[in-house]
Amino acid sequence: MCGIAGYYDKSSDSTGLIGCTVLDMLRALGCRGPDSAGVALYHAPADGDFVLQIKLGEAGHSQNPTENVIAKVSALSKPKDVSTTGGYLRLMIDGALDPGRVAAAVESTGSEVEVVSMGRRLEIVKQVGSPDRLEETFRISEFKGSHGIGHTRMSTESKVDLSHSQPFWAHGCPDVAIVHNGHITNYHKLRRQYEQHGTRFYTENDSEIIGVYVAQGLSRGLSLEEVLHAALADWDGSFSCLVSTADAMGFVKDSFAHKPLLFGETDGFAVVATEEVALRAVFGSELKVREAGAREVKVWRN
Amino acid sequence: MSESSSTPRVLQKSGIFSSSVIEDIQTKAESGIYRIRGYGTLRERRWATFDDLTFLPCSLTRIPLEGYREKCSTKTVLGSRFAEKPIELDIPVMITGMSWGALSYNAKVALAKGASEIGSSNTTGDGGMMAAERENSKTLIYEVLPSRYGINVHHMRMSDGIELTIGQGAKPGTGGLLLETKVSDEISKQRELPVGVDQRSPARHPDMLGPDDMIIKIEELREATGWQVPIFVKLGASRVYDDVKLAAKAGADVVVVDGMEGGTGASPAIFQDHTGIPTLAAVCEARAALEDMGLYGKVQLIIAGGIRDGVDAAKAMALGADAIYIGTAALIALNCNRPLYVDDYHKLGTEPHFCHHCHTGQCPVGVTTQDPELMKRLPIDEAAERVTNLLRAMTLEIQMLARSCGKSDVHNLEPEDMAALTPEASAICKVPLAGTRRVWGS
Amino acid sequence: MAELTCEGRTIREINAEIRRLLKDGEAVTVSSPGARHNLGVALLESGDVLFDGSVGYYCAGLIDGVKVRIKGSAGWGLAESMLSGEVIVEGNAGNSAGAAIRGGALVVQGDSGARTGVSMKNGLIIVTGSCGYMSGFMGQGGKMIICGDAAEAFGDSMYETICFVGGEIADLGNDAIVAESTDEDKQFLDASLTRYLPASVRANLPDGGDFKKVVSGRKLWNFKKSEWKTWEQAL
Repeated sequence: MCGIAGYYDKSSDSTGLIGCTVLDMLRALGCRGPDSAGVALYHAPADGDFVLQIKLGEAGHSQNPTENVIAKVSALSKPKDVSTTGGYLRLMIDGALDPGRVAAAVESTGSEVEVVSMGRRLEIVKQVGSPDRLEETFRISEFKGSHGIGHTRMSTESKVDLSHSQPFWAHGCPDVAIVHNGHITNYHKLRRQYEQHGTRFYTENDSEIIGVYVAQGLSRGLSLEEVLHAALADWDGSFSCLVSTADAMGFVKDSFAHKPLLFGETDGFAVVATEEVALRAVFGSELKVREAGAREVKVWRN
Repeated sequence: MSESSSTPRVLQKSGIFSSSVIEDIQTKAESGIYRIRGYGTLRERRWATFDDLTFLPCSLTRIPLEGYREKCSTKTVLGSRFAEKPIELDIPVMITGMSWGALSYNAKVALAKGASEIGSSNTTGDGGMMAAERENSKTLIYEVLPSRYGINVHHMRMSDGIELTIGQGAKPGTGGLLLETKVSDEISKQRELPVGVDQRSPARHPDMLGPDDMIIKIEELREATGWQVPIFVKLGASRVYDDVKLAAKAGADVVVVDGMEGGTGASPAIFQDHTGIPTLAAVCEARAALEDMGLYGKVQLIIAGGIRDGVDAAKAMALGADAIYIGTAALIALNCNRPLYVDDYHKLGTEPHFCHHCHTGQCPVGVTTQDPELMKRLPIDEAAERVTNLLRAMTLEIQMLARSCGKSDVHNLEPEDMAALTPEASAICKVPLAGTRRVWGS
Repeated sequence: MAELTCEGRTIREINAEIRRLLKDGEAVTVSSPGARHNLGVALLESGDVLFDGSVGYYCAGLIDGVKVRIKGSAGWGLAESMLSGEVIVEGNAGNSAGAAIRGGALVVQGDSGARTGVSMKNGLIIVTGSCGYMSGFMGQGGKMIICGDAAEAFGDSMYETICFVGGEIADLGNDAIVAESTDEDKQFLDASLTRYLPASVRANLPDGGDFKKVVSGRKLWNFKKSEWKTWEQAL
């Protein structure tokens, strides 16, 4: 049970301080999720290269895992812009490579190593602690881009650690991220179906199934709208959920309207959040907002 | 061989389709609906219970306290985490919320008086607060339930604590029932319902869906009561570990966990028998949750669900409870299942000691009825005295056990004061299996 | 008329100040509410309070007697468990508006969310716009007037709440039926809309005679196995 937020710049400008916007909304939602915080932000495409954010291990990074990953990845192509911050290894690599191969190469270096995000525009950073702590570690407020989603977490049934935090990358699907407030009650049933077909899960967190579901739907050629509509039939339980892709952002709300979600838009942008308090904190009192209805699906795309 | 020889007739009963199962199926074939009854689970308890633990009194390694002479304190404080005015009780055993509706007026007043006499507390119940309850309760806790029947901010402000009820042990995940005959004129007026309906309470709160909403709701309850009194969150024992963590995170002063063996005035039988985890298991999960959060001792824990005597209470306290709620035991003290008016038990199709027919409203001893004639069978003052006596006896039992373990305060009972008699109890309670000096499964 | 700002203050401080001002006989304007939660909870003094902006969850919850106006929108549980008083929100209301109210009047001049009026025991709710999923759910008494459309499962499992809908009803909930409006109903509707809404708003709403009346079919009040079809959905 959590706070989620998303911002989408409708102009094709990718220079807005969207990190700041999403972060400020998460700060306002803080009481809903004291356990962890995370953001999925989209910058302007960088020469078509993939950006990877890699979790090296719960205890932070040390020399060996970093070197191992770089070595493995170098066998495919030389990584660029390598840096480590707050337990993450960030690097860029040739965007013509098969993303599955790259992720597999990285994760083969250790059981605790996980690609937290991969995309030509997407970067996810998340960690245990508050939005303020996230900002201290990663300087989110300096991130410039076009859209982003974020999450503050109150853990219900699974662990409080980096991997179990959100946003979740739709693993294997570059540039797709999800955040979820609620609880998918047929998670285990869905998970077993996916595992029988070889999907790997990284956590025990039910929200992860959403990323898997969206990845599968999009890779079968469905549009984001179609995936979110199908979700209404396939997911059971409570959900207000935001999904972002390289060029779109959308939400879906469950049939019983169990979890709150409000949104507002102007000609210039669209914004979504669990509570109006987040929208007012950033956008003031003029913006007209409304609560999404039961079974409502909405997607913004440029 | 002829039939009239002395070969005895051997009757072989199916282990699957027992008499009660046959009766159950045939009743459902007539009615077309699930069974509803009062009381609590009627299952034979083959799971780990408090009976599978035994105390290890002092012998050579420790020194026991003298019974009756060397003081053993029973003072109990609840709500020290955030409340300006924590609840202070003289004993650690309290009366749980039971509705006026499920119970008769006389029963409710007797419970209030009986508890007050010995420095214990009373709790309202589904339907709200009765004036007589507040008048006769030294300490009164106000239950805020999913139904919100009779919800009244003024009554909340007159209370000594607010209990935000998410569920109860007998029927976690669903709402309560009060059947036709018990929705009398008075009850229907208090609950703002038509007379004579089969009232079904909601399963969840109307304006709060999830622990994230609950954080805000707890703040609202504090605002409404001037941040003075403790806020309890009451849970039916389901995913106890996760739920207790969430209740603590959401800001509860006290967490109440009501186990599978808890009672009810009327609920679907399948819920009483097949939902929720046993009270012993629940107290162990609850304590582990608070310890893992570093809040054990800061957030108080009240355990409920089939507590029968001071022994059960003492064992629950040794495992981590700060206080105990009793429900069914208190009703039995009032006269539930007592062999009086035995013909009336027969009219219900039962006998004393076998009666669980609270849902019918025909309680032969006037405890769980709205019939004024039946209620006359429960004169208040005598009934109150019986409640006081039970609470006193239970407290003495707890003290005796505590003294024998060398404790001058009942709250100093620890898991290490006990041994387990079965491997399951050892594994669940993390207490050594008697004879092995090891915790099973560790 | 007294003013106070929410900026830099806790909810506890804001509400304490509102109570103090009301006791002094002042009408109160509260600025910069910023959609924060628990504003105006348990106001037991009579008087007028204006929130100049949006409010969050449980605004005016547990009140008895005060009049509250909200210039923006409201979150979940607006006026929940109100005993008496009047709450008017000019914008939209979130889910569970008027939950468990036992008297008083709640007026939403925009749209209201899912489960509007859930478990209401008495009192009056008016929504000039549309209401969300399962509004009227488990309504025990009182009256609800929806001038616009009602979403799915309207009036599910009610006892004695009487609902009126001026627009379209997406579908009726369990045991909800459309009944004939009486002359008294029409007069009640006209009188209520005139009393609680500005004339300019009221003029654009349906006449008392154009509302559909929705009440409980009473088939779920007591279980009877012959009405199994009705119960099938409910159980």
